[in-house]
Amino acid sequence: MRWWQIRKRDAELQRELQLAIELEEEELRENGMSAEEAHYVARREFGNTTLIREQTHEAWGSAFFERLLQDARYALRQLWRSPGFSIVAMLTLALGIGATTAIFTLVYDVMLRPLPFAQPDRLVTMEEKVAEWSNINPTFPVSANHFAFWQQHSSSFDSMSLMQQWAMPLGGSGRPLQIEALMATPGIFSVLQVQPAQGRGFTVEEAQTGQGHVAVLTYALWRKQFDGDPNILGKTILLDGFPYKIIGVMPQSFHMPSVQTLDNLGSSNQHVPIGILLPLVFSKGRLAEVMGDLNYFGLARLKPGVSTAAANDELNALQQRISASLPASEKAALSATITPFQVKLVGDNRKPLMILLAAVAGLLLVGCVNITNLLLSRAISQKRRFAVAAALGASRAEMVRMAIRETAMLTVLGGGLGVLLAAGLVPSMQRYLPPALNFRESLHLDWAGVGCALLLAVLATLAAGATPAFIVSNTAPQEILHSDSRLTSESSRSYGARRILIAVEAGVSVVLVLTTGLLITSVAKLMKVDSGFTTERTMTATVNLPAESYRDDQHRAAFYRELLVRMNGLAGVEHAAFTSVLPLAGGGWGAMARVTGDSRPDPQLPLESVRAVSPQYFPAIGLRTISGTIFGEGHWEKNLALVSEKTAKTLWPGKDPLGRQFNLGDPATEKPFTVVGVVADARTVSLEKPDDMVIYVPYWYRSEPMGGLVVRTHQDPSEMAEVIRQAIWGVDPGVPVPTVRALGGLVADSVANRRFEMDLLLLFAVSALFLAGLGIYGVLTYSVSQRYREMGLRLALGAQRASLYGLVLRDGLVPVAIGAAAGVAVAFAWARMVRGLLFQVSPYDPVLSAGAVGVLLLVGAMACLLPARRAAGVEPMQALRTE
Amino acid sequence: MAKQTQPRANLLQGTLDMLILRTLLHGPGHGHEIGKHIQRTTNDFLQMQHGSLYPALHRLEERGWINAKWETAPDRNREFKYYRLTDKGKKQLVVEESQWKQMAEAVARVMWPTSEEI
Repeated sequence: MRWWQIRKRDAELQRELQLAIELEEEELRENGMSAEEAHYVARREFGNTTLIREQTHEAWGSAFFERLLQDARYALRQLWRSPGFSIVAMLTLALGIGATTAIFTLVYDVMLRPLPFAQPDRLVTMEEKVAEWSNINPTFPVSANHFAFWQQHSSSFDSMSLMQQWAMPLGGSGRPLQIEALMATPGIFSVLQVQPAQGRGFTVEEAQTGQGHVAVLTYALWRKQFDGDPNILGKTILLDGFPYKIIGVMPQSFHMPSVQTLDNLGSSNQHVPIGILLPLVFSKGRLAEVMGDLNYFGLARLKPGVSTAAANDELNALQQRISASLPASEKAALSATITPFQVKLVGDNRKPLMILLAAVAGLLLVGCVNITNLLLSRAISQKRRFAVAAALGASRAEMVRMAIRETAMLTVLGGGLGVLLAAGLVPSMQRYLPPALNFRESLHLDWAGVGCALLLAVLATLAAGATPAFIVSNTAPQEILHSDSRLTSESSRSYGARRILIAVEAGVSVVLVLTTGLLITSVAKLMKVDSGFTTERTMTATVNLPAESYRDDQHRAAFYRELLVRMNGLAGVEHAAFTSVLPLAGGGWGAMARVTGDSRPDPQLPLESVRAVSPQYFPAIGLRTISGTIFGEGHWEKNLALVSEKTAKTLWPGKDPLGRQFNLGDPATEKPFTVVGVVADARTVSLEKPDDMVIYVPYWYRSEPMGGLVVRTHQDPSEMAEVIRQAIWGVDPGVPVPTVRALGGLVADSVANRRFEMDLLLLFAVSALFLAGLGIYGVLTYSVSQRYREMGLRLALGAQRASLYGLVLRDGLVPVAIGAAAGVAVAFAWARMVRGLLFQVSPYDPVLSAGAVGVLLLVGAMACLLPARRAAGVEPMQALRTE
Repeated sequence: MAKQTQPRANLLQGTLDMLILRTLLHGPGHGHEIGKHIQRTTNDFLQMQHGSLYPALHRLEERGWINAKWETAPDRNREFKYYRLTDKGKKQLVVEESQWKQMAEAVARVMWPTSEEI
């Protein structure tokens, strides 16, 4: 029986019963009864047709749906009758469910949704560990030499691949397009288990030096840049100035996350999806480097049934063999670590997401508590109705159903609105996805999210409806029906329940407020921290020199020299400088400085990050030199260097570093660097911690294809963007300029994620506070109205109005204070979770903790004030007369 | 009314189903006919409550033991809902009958024990 056929079937049943009555009537008439008598007797004998119909409906098995519809209709009527309550409750639920669903969708997308590859749980990343350098980086990308050894001797993996991501200019003449290229060893196709939709992938031969000029396009790039040209295979494109033959196009479903390694940190634009795949070619020299070139992102596919731990053990055993065979000059203790790909991509984003999810769930909880309160008041005001129902024999189950159907209808409506809200919110959260994970198609609400909303609605019904239902189902009818409703005050059980609810609201709100306070303080301190450089009137730009026309350091340095001369000559430019890495955009390349005379093996030398800069770099970003001077353009081709304070103290402890010498490369082939100055330590890699050791070398020593420009201006820097571009294109119109941004913008970007978390938490905390205040107000207003006569009596007996104030305030604030204290305890308990997100503030900060409690008490007091005034304003004569 | 002085019996749970199935073994019939037939055959001992009969008919139909069709009655110019025994219903009747027999025998043994069982 389909429930929508009920009406039709019921009509048939009515006809059937009607006919039976008519037949009975006819028979009675045939037996000699008068027409009128027969009419009545037949009907009397037959009985209550409505009852028969209902009993028959049960036989259809449709009674359940029928009752559901009836309940729904009834609940809707009830809600319609008190629109204020219904709207407040519905919106509260919609907000709670919608926000939670939106955050859940984000969390699901980032942490739980399987990666878009076949059997993604078998994909793992491989990283190396070097005990000697563990203070600098706990893990390193993989070296080509070690990788070749693993590939030969490991048996845990189906296939493995190394990759590297670079931004590259695509196209030849004038303003080429900047695209992201993924260079990978041929294993990538079997690791990811995906083949080009057209054409083929790279062969092992094409990964040999000199053979690697083939390319596979992604579907999006093929459609956008080549208009989906069906004859694209075999065509030649210019990449980095070199010709590449297109041999394949990836399927539309192929989406590859950005693979950042230390080497290209900051040099690639993570927000641009990968557009092209090129073979990663290792020269003989690279493959022979036994202890360097830790540069490549390693991805592998485990054999079926092989656990991560087993693969880890095998790789570590191989690393020990490599360690044992290292020459004395490069001795190092190597190990390796294997991480599931998804876990690696999620990385540090797990904690903030979990905190957001917990926070939004807390908000939903406060919302539910509020609705419980409202329902409780309603249940109590309707207790006569329930008492009548109980007296007429309604079963306990019936009473609970009566009590909970309104809640269920509310959550259905609220949940529906919530889903709509979430559907609207989710797409706007796309830009807050961590870059490494923002590679799939656009974020949208899907079945996982809707399922979450549904589950939340059910939970909310149970959470909000359980207490009122319990209280209602325990109605003692004779007690209520005997007493005059106006004289009875609230039962002590429901009064106790309300105080607990207030305490819960206060507790959850305190946790939210305190966590938000900690994050806000962190961001504020981070923005105020002395970074060691200044950002006023400073623009930055990145340039990417095509490899074909700028083959080596000399060519590139010449380009920058020409450019800097022109730019420093422009009106309005105070300083224009080159730097290999822009502030807060990465660490630069790492190198071991060997102080002249030091003969330790390489891996035991201290590792510094090295930056190639032009002389104007220091004044351009306001980086202070402590002693010595800055090298000048006049020192062209001389190996001079500046070192940071920390470097000076490490390399030459207790001695004057000026004039001392060290080598970055092999002392046998390279002239040593002479230290000409010491630069103050700063925070140019991350605002969160002081830079490690830094060495500044002139750009004529080394210039990478990807570089940055810093321009301090005399005027409004925003007008400079076009001037900078034109200056670059004035030297060579074939140079892509991927980004031009204010330095202040880079600083803001570096805390953008924290800000996002902070903003959301702030929103949740304020909403929770608002709801908690509303809840407290509601409870107290109700309780005062219930105790109207009591207040009158107190006044009549000589109580001061002020003491009535105190009475109500105490009533409201005691549970708030208890809840707030419990909330602080909870917040301290989960401090470990929050600690990682904090900056220069303890999760147990006494001022903030006290502040959070204070805010709650303040909100509580404000919520109590109106009801307290009403209590104090009672006219005793009137109150006692009202019966 | 005379009827009220007559002894009446409440049907045991489940027996009504069996009686309906047995009645329909003669041939199709509509609700009123079925009720009247049971009442008459038992000399009005079993009073047909419409409140039990119609839900029972619909329950049996729902289970597939009988099916129903609106047909014109042979003696009247009106359509009635005629119930008909299905094959499944025939099998069910056999089952219920044997169950009832067992039940009746069991009750009889307790109530009127034969001499050797005393």
